[in-house]
Amino acid sequence: MKVKLKNVFVVYFLVSVIGLMYALLQLGQPCDCSQHLRSASDLMHGKDKKISQLLSEVKRLQVRGKGPELEGQALPIIYAITPTYARLVQKAELVRMSQTFLHVKNFHWIVVEDSPVKTQLVSELLAQSGLRFTHLHTETPKEQKLKESDPNWLKPRGVEQRNLALQWLRENRELSEEGVVYFADDDNTYSLHLFDEIRSTKRVSVWPVGLVGGLRFERPLVEKGRVVGFYTAWKPNRPFPMDMAGFAIALQLLLANREARFDMLAERGYLESSLLQSLVSIEELEPRADNCTKVLVWHTRSEKPKMKQEELLQKQGLGSDPSIEV
Amino acid sequence: ENATAKARFNGTSPLREEGLPSCSWQQASGVAPKVIQNYVYSRPPPWSDTLPTIFIITPTYTRPVQKAELTRLANTFLHVQNLHWVVVEDSPRRTNLVSNLLEKAGLNFTHLNVESPQSLKMNGSRIPSHKPRGTLQRNLGLHWLRDSFNKTQPPEGVVYFADDDNTYSLELFEEMRYTRRVSVWPVAFAGGLRYESPIVSPAGKVVGWKVVFDPNRPFAIDMAGFAVSIRLILERPQATFKLEGIKGGYQESSLLKDLVTMDGLEPKAANCTKVLVWHTRTERPMLGNEGKHGFSDLRMEV
Repeated sequence: MKVKLKNVFVVYFLVSVIGLMYALLQLGQPCDCSQHLRSASDLMHGKDKKISQLLSEVKRLQVRGKGPELEGQALPIIYAITPTYARLVQKAELVRMSQTFLHVKNFHWIVVEDSPVKTQLVSELLAQSGLRFTHLHTETPKEQKLKESDPNWLKPRGVEQRNLALQWLRENRELSEEGVVYFADDDNTYSLHLFDEIRSTKRVSVWPVGLVGGLRFERPLVEKGRVVGFYTAWKPNRPFPMDMAGFAIALQLLLANREARFDMLAERGYLESSLLQSLVSIEELEPRADNCTKVLVWHTRSEKPKMKQEELLQKQGLGSDPSIEV
Repeated sequence: ENATAKARFNGTSPLREEGLPSCSWQQASGVAPKVIQNYVYSRPPPWSDTLPTIFIITPTYTRPVQKAELTRLANTFLHVQNLHWVVVEDSPRRTNLVSNLLEKAGLNFTHLNVESPQSLKMNGSRIPSHKPRGTLQRNLGLHWLRDSFNKTQPPEGVVYFADDDNTYSLELFEEMRYTRRVSVWPVAFAGGLRYESPIVSPAGKVVGWKVVFDPNRPFAIDMAGFAVSIRLILERPQATFKLEGIKGGYQESSLLKDLVTMDGLEPKAANCTKVLVWHTRTERPMLGNEGKHGFSDLRMEV
């Protein structure tokens, strides 16, 4: 039979239409893609695992301030100012403080030694701590210093050191930088939750402090979200009857008020007021810790370790090896 | 997020072996998992299947500084990988304070309790310094370990008795982690000295004790100065701290004499030349202004 071009086209057309219909009918039919899915899902699991490993690594580095900031680039920096002085328990106190601080993001520790020089003990401790820090020192003038036999409340302590830290901040930080300043003495105990409360400070924020002022806790009294008074049994008529550990100040407030500092000559218990009264009024205080109903910081104090045997040995010239640091 | 994250940790922890009692806070099987809404502020490093576990036994008792002490301990332990905290309260019941603290801390923990009889009890006003304290609680911790693990397949790990007022460096935990039998190191502020320490010969063996208080004790060492491998604890089920007739300073010896001899000790901390743990003590806070009938609101937990 003669092959007409017309027939060729008809056949071609019919085959294409049938093919097209077949393809259309196949659409939406279930197919066995499980193998593809499985390998894709394995790939995803592998990547997930890698991601979570990397995230935890970043988190660790972040806290140490070395890695990239995944989140919280706008997180205000918490500056903790810690005056410290050499005594037997100093290293232990600083070690356990650093262990707490290592958990806090965007943290900067300002340690100020009551000393004419930077001691090796503190220098090495800070260098090995993994924290961002500034190491300062200034010696309290002799007349202001406590003697061994003096009770600890006789003279105000840490004043020069805290003021030096404030000075450092004023010389090294700009108004544009967001930060909060907290005075963290080296024998207190801090919960991690406290630092969230500190971080949100706009001017001056306040919260309860445990085991202080002869009470289980002292705290600001809060009504309708404002501080209206203070719950304290010791010298309640102070302008700010609070402990050093019970408030934090926005960095910008300190930079804007360059003269605000602690008064060395303040009467016992008035140290905190001597700084705060030039910065804020009671109505402006920001209550934290659930309207000041939670204790997130404790005014613990460490006992002086008994050195009876050490002293006996020293008298015989057999004291412990001073090159072993304690 | 917290409930599932915790489950992931516990899924790989050695305590999930078949038929063994689980942590005291877990639900009985068959009950839907509890959703914990509390925010956990930090996490320990992820559990590793290859690293030996450090079991820390901490006896604790209710007093004003308790929460502070346990808080700062938790902050320390959160840095240590493969750590399991066994907290034993000196109390007839597990208290809410400790339960909540442990739940929120984010650590792997076991919460136990046993009350000391009146004669041994830690009392706020009378502190009998020569009576052994925490003995029953530490023994309960040991008992739990022996109950939880199979002697024939002991996990790789070590037991350390960490009192709640001492200070521990992070380096200490890595020193003790690979203990084969019993390892030892110096302790600051123990025995009336800057530090007490084992005396280590040039060959690396413990040959004596650099202490002033009763150097003739079989083990003149503080509770914080040694750690015992789990394997050894399980091999010697009769080794416990003795309660009766123990002179001051002999508590540690009462346990160690059943576990090891002096020449079997492993000195750590650079042959016992570095201080990695401090026997700090926290002052009892002056609560004079509370008066006879209390002043502050007891509903606020301190």
